[in-house]
Amino acid sequence: MAEPFKNTPPAPEAKGEMTAQNVAAALAGESQASQKYLAFADAADAEGYPNVARLFRAVAYAESTHARNHLSVLGMIGTTEENLKAAFGGETFEIDEMYAAYMAVAKLQSNGSAQTTIRYADSAEKDHQAIYDAVLKGVEGGQDCGTDAVRVCPICGHTVIGGAPDECPVCGTAGVYFKEF
Amino acid sequence: MSNTISQEEALEKRLPKPEELNPMTKESLAAAFAGESQAAEKYLVWAEQAEDEGYPNVGKLFRAISFAESRHARNHLRVMGGINSTAENLLAAFEGESFEVDEMYPAYHEIAKLQGNHQASRAITYALKSEVDHKGQYTDAREAVVAGEDIDDQPVNVCLACGHTIIGDAPDKCPYCGAGKELYKTF
Repeated sequence: MAEPFKNTPPAPEAKGEMTAQNVAAALAGESQASQKYLAFADAADAEGYPNVARLFRAVAYAESTHARNHLSVLGMIGTTEENLKAAFGGETFEIDEMYAAYMAVAKLQSNGSAQTTIRYADSAEKDHQAIYDAVLKGVEGGQDCGTDAVRVCPICGHTVIGGAPDECPVCGTAGVYFKEF
Repeated sequence: MSNTISQEEALEKRLPKPEELNPMTKESLAAAFAGESQAAEKYLVWAEQAEDEGYPNVGKLFRAISFAESRHARNHLRVMGGINSTAENLLAAFEGESFEVDEMYPAYHEIAKLQGNHQASRAITYALKSEVDHKGQYTDAREAVVAGEDIDDQPVNVCLACGHTIIGDAPDKCPYCGAGKELYKTF
């Protein structure tokens, strides 16, 4: 029965506890590798190595395919309604627990850049929490969200539906640099 | 191209800078980097799911928010001093792949076999095989960059099913998972 599985992502299955932990750890590792390689690709471009940059981007994509396979095995690819609920829950945890605690520690330890990167992320997670909440209500009724463009600040991740502001309210980057989706 | 660089320089001034971090703050940022990276990957997969279900605009939204999380991951990595020269980045990438190839995936694969978890075993095997590709590719790239040279201008092809990575043309059939040539993504 190996053949029919070819070309399809590995499927969810009931797993031993150690295997479940390992696949979750592998998902964390692949996700971080993918994001590192994307950042390394930008650094290679800036240093004048466009072909090394291309290699980093290709390998980042390969790591994304592994992350997707691991997510599938873990049973974490649900229906869109379930995915939106999970996304809302994740953003809420980051705002209420994770970044709140990390910010307190970074302030206590007077680590200024750490406070900046935490503030940027925390602020954008609040955008995402509100957006997911609104979109979930539509999808629960079988409705797609609107066709408006989504714009994201390339520095801090501030996320808006519709037109970009003149200047990012979180980090001050000019709106013309926002990436449009 | 010079236009792109000057734009990047202008933007770079706004990025949080690397700094000497206290150990607990460093632990916090490392955990936040892990969280943001996983969120970015999840949202990309969930974007495809939304498109499959006929929600193209929810798909677009997930992609946009994935990009936002990717910006946070980059910022956290930068503050931790994790973005260096390309020669150093290639060495860090090689070391990461080596750990996965020599330690992590062989151990995980053994446990998945022991526990009879066939699907986990497949996901692990696909990853392990492509990390071997990456290890070799990063070794070659680092040799070039240490000598001040870019690598050759050739396409890089990646199998979208298993991550098999090849410099040059895609094979007719993926040697790891059997996917056809049309399932390769070209960079």
